[in-house]
Amino acid sequence: MSGSVEIVGSFADEIGCAHGIEKLREVKAIGVRVFSPIPSHRIEHAIGKPKSRVRAFVLTGGILGIITALALTIGTSWEWNLDAGGKPVVSWPPFIIIMFELMVLFGGISAVLSFLVHARVPAFEIAEGYSSRFSEDRFGVVVRCEPADSAQVESILRDAGAEEVVRAAAWPRADGNAVVS
Amino acid sequence: MSANLAHRTPSSASDAHGSVPVASAAFKGLLVALVLVGIAAFAAALSSGNADRAWQAYLVNFLVWLGIAQGGVVLSAAFYLTQGRWAGTTQFRLAEAFAGFIPLGFILFWGLYFGRTLIFPWVLHPIAQKAAWLNTPFLFARDGAGLAIMTLLSLALVRISRGPEARAWQLSSSDIDLPPPILRKIAPALSICFAVVYSLIAFDLVMSLSPAWHSTLFGWYFFGGAFWSAIVTVALTAVILRGRLGDHNVFRNPTVLHDLGKLVFAFSVFWIYLVFSQYIVIWYGDIPVETFFIVHRVYYMPWKAISYLVVFLMWLAPFVTLLGVRPKQTPAILGTIAFGGIVGVWLERYLLVVPSLSQHVVPLGWVELLITMGFVGAFVLCALPGLDLVAAAATSGEMQEGHE
Repeated sequence: MSGSVEIVGSFADEIGCAHGIEKLREVKAIGVRVFSPIPSHRIEHAIGKPKSRVRAFVLTGGILGIITALALTIGTSWEWNLDAGGKPVVSWPPFIIIMFELMVLFGGISAVLSFLVHARVPAFEIAEGYSSRFSEDRFGVVVRCEPADSAQVESILRDAGAEEVVRAAAWPRADGNAVVS
Repeated sequence: MSANLAHRTPSSASDAHGSVPVASAAFKGLLVALVLVGIAAFAAALSSGNADRAWQAYLVNFLVWLGIAQGGVVLSAAFYLTQGRWAGTTQFRLAEAFAGFIPLGFILFWGLYFGRTLIFPWVLHPIAQKAAWLNTPFLFARDGAGLAIMTLLSLALVRISRGPEARAWQLSSSDIDLPPPILRKIAPALSICFAVVYSLIAFDLVMSLSPAWHSTLFGWYFFGGAFWSAIVTVALTAVILRGRLGDHNVFRNPTVLHDLGKLVFAFSVFWIYLVFSQYIVIWYGDIPVETFFIVHRVYYMPWKAISYLVVFLMWLAPFVTLLGVRPKQTPAILGTIAFGGIVGVWLERYLLVVPSLSQHVVPLGWVELLITMGFVGAFVLCALPGLDLVAAAATSGEMQEGHE
């Protein structure tokens, strides 16, 4: 930690924030952490975030749901042979509904659980540089860099349209709410 | 009427780039030739003992192309209702581009009057219990009135939407202002009337061809398909214009094709949902008076093959192909799926209409082909003024933000 400083820039607008991040990545800042009040594809794209691993879990959950539904419907039909209107015992058209619903249910539950695991939620430590306004209407970019680069990083953030740029040392961290202005 | 609309549109500085029309004189000549071929084929079929096929092809094409034109205006209304402004003015111009066909479609509707004895089985063989609803004067009065309302509402929406106030709103996507007040009234009115009038059209012009059969959901299914047909036509137009409007046009922005691809995908799923919702109820009840309509089309050749092809073109292919982001943004893939979608919608309308009238033979030949070509020619001709506005909007540089 010694030898590096943290700089926090706050943005009112998503596009400026994304441009700022792209610029920072070009000049190889050591670490960039972003707080966003909304899910933003633009910012995800800017920080070069890899595709979420949650997707694989949702797919697996969905397929498991379909298999479960097939087992449930076909199994119960075989278990209780009921001739309804001369239709075959295993009459699959209505099973599509059960398959669809269980696919959604299993896929949805897998999504929530794997999201919680991958996002490490609940988190009991507040990330450095966080301010509650980054959960309201401001985007926050936290940059860790060499002290020698700090002037350049600050100017990049300002040029990208940051409303304010502060050294993290000056950032009140106790509750994250007192805002330097 | 469409040309009239185009001239009324105030041209701002941003339109100056698009002064080159999208269609060359030769292409217009080709379209006129197509229309003449279609009219000649229709006349030839009438006089050569193929009158029933001529009228069936007329009805199918009337439903397809009016559905696309009307669905497009409803799509524009949907953009207002959802305040969707992901492609600035271009998405509105694109959805409204085909509105020029709506007045012509209204005129073509009255043409059905002259073919009524060949189209509607109940004209010559009235059904006593349904005669109060299924009789010629009442059918043409109610459907004519419905289509008149739709035509007036659509032209009003398109005209206001192309005006300066609406355009200013369409461009200000970073504001959260609501659309201009008049559009906040017309857009929902148009959407509701679309559901009502096109349900009526579905019941009267399609379901009544098989007067013993009925399905309450059929109206939804029919106008849901019409809405989707407009979306795929919009997507295909976007892909075509993307290649023709030079290096700097809105359609070069991958997010625009992505958004169009999402619409194609979503309403394809909606369509199959409505198909299945009807099918499952009829399958479950298993009552002959309900099942014959489906058994005839889905379980027996030759119609079975067309049924499967329709499901492939309208749902399976779009669903599988457009599942990912990359295919939605790839013009060749989105364009192919959209073109297949238009073919699928045509076949679907054909499948709804013709088997009711021609039980065991698939009448697909020069009559259907040439009449369809005539309708295509008329449709594109009517859309040209609207497409010029699309080109102007797409090249005006209003969407620079997204070019990366």
